[in-house]
Amino acid sequence: MNSELYPGEAADALAEIHKRQQQVIDRALVPAWYWWVVGALMVVLAIGVDTRTHLALGITIPVFVVGMLAATGAAVRSQFLYARVHDRLLDGTAVIAILGFVALIVGCSLGIAFGLRAAGVSYPATIGCGVGGLVMGLGGPVLNRQLRRIMLGNRAGIKS
Amino acid sequence: MTVARFDELIHAPTRLSIVSLLAASEWAEFQFIRDSVGLSDSALSKQLATLEQAGYVEIGRGFVGKRPRTSARLTKAGRAAFEQHVAALQEMVVRSGSTILPR
Repeated sequence: MNSELYPGEAADALAEIHKRQQQVIDRALVPAWYWWVVGALMVVLAIGVDTRTHLALGITIPVFVVGMLAATGAAVRSQFLYARVHDRLLDGTAVIAILGFVALIVGCSLGIAFGLRAAGVSYPATIGCGVGGLVMGLGGPVLNRQLRRIMLGNRAGIKS
Repeated sequence: MTVARFDELIHAPTRLSIVSLLAASEWAEFQFIRDSVGLSDSALSKQLATLEQAGYVEIGRGFVGKRPRTSARLTKAGRAAFEQHVAALQEMVVRSGSTILPR
């Protein structure tokens, strides 16, 4: 142990460590726009499904696929170019949070869509995916905050 | 349980910042470390060389397309030394009766 180091200096060093690790973690999180773009693409695809014409499907399916690839590529770009967050930071709790969020979106979209279809409402998939997309846009940043909290909690020195 | 061990090599201000970044990463690209920590190319190279000589860091050199890319990652020994260093700092703060509040 270094006896020349004052506790205040040790606290400053810990704050510096926290700040630097937070920089890596913040870069790992997908940006807020991503959730709204994916939500909008879900609606685009659902319009094609509800319209049920070859032309609509021929337009909406490629828009969905290309849009998803482009948006996901842009969102995770920094993970491949700058720094990849350490695997240890994303533990089982983080995986459960992500899977829970996906289940919520899928359940919400399909549940509403099938419910409306059974009730004979027009454009059930579009409305279902619209609600799912809205939940995704609003809930995405909440998931981000949760993942950030989990990763900060799993940093070296916090959990061993 | 991590054993607390103060590490003089890691504790130097710029090296502490570099190792902290690397501790949260599988790997980090040279430019990202340089810009995050606010060092010049030569200053970062020098600090990484010191850490590499100590066996704390591995330097990877490769290409992305035609562009050369240098990345760094903590070795197992580097990660262990960092965790022990963090534990030593925490111990000092706790002993003093203060609380650890990141700013």
